Amino acid sequence: MQNEQEFSKAEKFWMNFKLYQLWRFIVLNVKVYTIAVQSKFH
Amino acid sequence: MAKILVIGAGFAGHTAALYLGNQLGRKHEITVMSNRDVFGYVPSWVWVGVGHMKPEQTIFKLKPVYDRMHVKFVHAAAKEIHPDASDQFVVAEEIGTGKEVRWSYDYLVIAPGPLLNFAGTPGLGPENGFTHSICSLPHAIKTRDAYLALCERMKKGEKVKIVVGTGHPGATCQGAAFEYIVNVHKDLLKKGLRDKADILWLSNEPELGDFGVNGVQIKRNGIVQKSSEFIKSVFNDHGIRYQVRTGVTKVEEGKIHWQNYEGEEGITEFDFSMLIPQFKGQPFKYIGKDGEDVSAKMVNPAGFVLVDGKYGLPYPELSQTPEAWPAQYNNPTYPNVFAAGIAFAPPGPISKPFTNKNNLLIAPAPPRTGMVSGVIGRVVAMNIVDLVKTGKMTHQERMTEMVAACIASMGDNLWDGNAVTIVMRPVVPDRKKYANEFGRDLFISHLEMGLSGAWMKFMLHYTFIWKFKGLFGWKLIPE
Ligand SMILES: Cc1cc2nc3c(=O)[nH]c(=O)nc-3n(C[C@H](O)[C@H](O)[C@H](O)COP(=O)(O)OP(=O)(O)OC[C@H]3O[C@@H](n4cnc5c(N)ncnc54)[C@H](O)[C@@H]3O)c2cc1C
Repeated sequence: MQNEQEFSKAEKFWMNFKLYQLWRFIVLNVKVYTIAVQSKFH
Repeated sequence: MAKILVIGAGFAGHTAALYLGNQLGRKHEITVMSNRDVFGYVPSWVWVGVGHMKPEQTIFKLKPVYDRMHVKFVHAAAKEIHPDASDQFVVAEEIGTGKEVRWSYDYLVIAPGPLLNFAGTPGLGPENGFTHSICSLPHAIKTRDAYLALCERMKKGEKVKIVVGTGHPGATCQGAAFEYIVNVHKDLLKKGLRDKADILWLSNEPELGDFGVNGVQIKRNGIVQKSSEFIKSVFNDHGIRYQVRTGVTKVEEGKIHWQNYEGEEGITEFDFSMLIPQFKGQPFKYIGKDGEDVSAKMVNPAGFVLVDGKYGLPYPELSQTPEAWPAQYNNPTYPNVFAAGIAFAPPGPISKPFTNKNNLLIAPAPPRTGMVSGVIGRVVAMNIVDLVKTGKMTHQERMTEMVAACIASMGDNLWDGNAVTIVMRPVVPDRKKYANEFGRDLFISHLEMGLSGAWMKFMLHYTFIWKFKGLFGWKLIPE
């Protein structure tokens, strides 16, 4: 965020830049899966 | 042979049933009693409510799944629970015939989700009031119809006021309402109608982005970022006005009455409104062996089932006592009775409660999200498996240990959709374990907005329906 009130133009660009978002999709999936699966061992 | 009965087939009860069937179903009697014969994938009702998903895409029949999983299914609404040791059974009304059925058990899992307490706010709700809801599938369908009719009026040039948020000072589930408001925004934008609507977020949260969990905090490039700033940016970006610290007290046609932290009373006008009601426990009767009322041993005044939490701590003490949150989810008086999902009584709020000068308590109740409900369903099931096999429970997970991952979609289009991905660990802050003022793991906790979130939300819909159908590899998919 460029300040507390709004997203910058650059942030908005990355939010919909398909190749970068594909990378984020992979990263987020790995992150969510690895932490969620830890719960199974409780 | 042990007899295990699960009341409710939602995120908590159905998850418990899958694990119980898988582990014990061949040798023991597992039964699910539900007043609906379908599983409802609740998160996608947000999309139903804006007309972007067909209702039938969010449900599937339970019986064929249970047949495969060695689980019996009773299509009935539970009414009475008789928990005394000598004679333990549940009385229910069979759906369709109205016949009374009695089901005895050795272990009971109470997981019937919330009673949507529209009556707690005069004029609230789609049945006897003036607002809409997406908390059940019939409500989401009614909301969709009203929303699409509103769009028709806007197409004719009418300017309208839309209000979305919480409809009671103690309501929870702000995340679902947030998802709905941003989906409405995005849908109106696509339809070319956004300039015809004034959209307001009206909620009981102490701050924007609180979501009933004291907000989400993350560390990025050494700086702590808070969901309050993040959600403010989203609303400013979308031109959505907001008013928090507000408890709705009454609704009339086109008018929402409220009070805020300062004790001011006000009225907000609306043409269309979706407000989440207060949640209560299901109004079961709890009856002892001599016919006496044993509710006080089973449930708190709101009807949520008392489990192994430490109840009655004042908020400042509770917020410093992670071990006050239940771990195994069984009732102290009747230890073979478990509660999972929204049905269990939390020991208190996660967000800071506030009482205004008129003595109105404005305090978001703790959300028990789908992930939390599923995890508790599994913990309860695995403990029952332990009890049946070895007589000793070995599983536990408090909400102060649980992770929650929520994806708040902001338009479902796979090309230009968007979503906020929120990860928090733990759901309830643990200020003893995490040495920061928020009591959270700031490295694992995560806030991000982008198209990838929309893809994840879409993927989760199909992945979870796969899991809940008990199809190949279902156990590998985390709750
Ligand atoms: C619109 C919306 C969107 C949401 N989005 C998300 C999200 O994106 N992520 C997330 O984690 N959470 C989300 N949630 C929260 C999540 O849906 C709930 O936390 C979850 O459904 C709670 O599970 P449960 O099993 O306790 O209750 P429920 O899912 O409500 O299931 C209760 C079951 O019990 C049955 N039942 C009720 N009364 C009786 C009775 N008397 N006898 C027998 N059976 C009965 C009901 O028919 C139902 O099948 C959302 C909630 C809403 C409303």
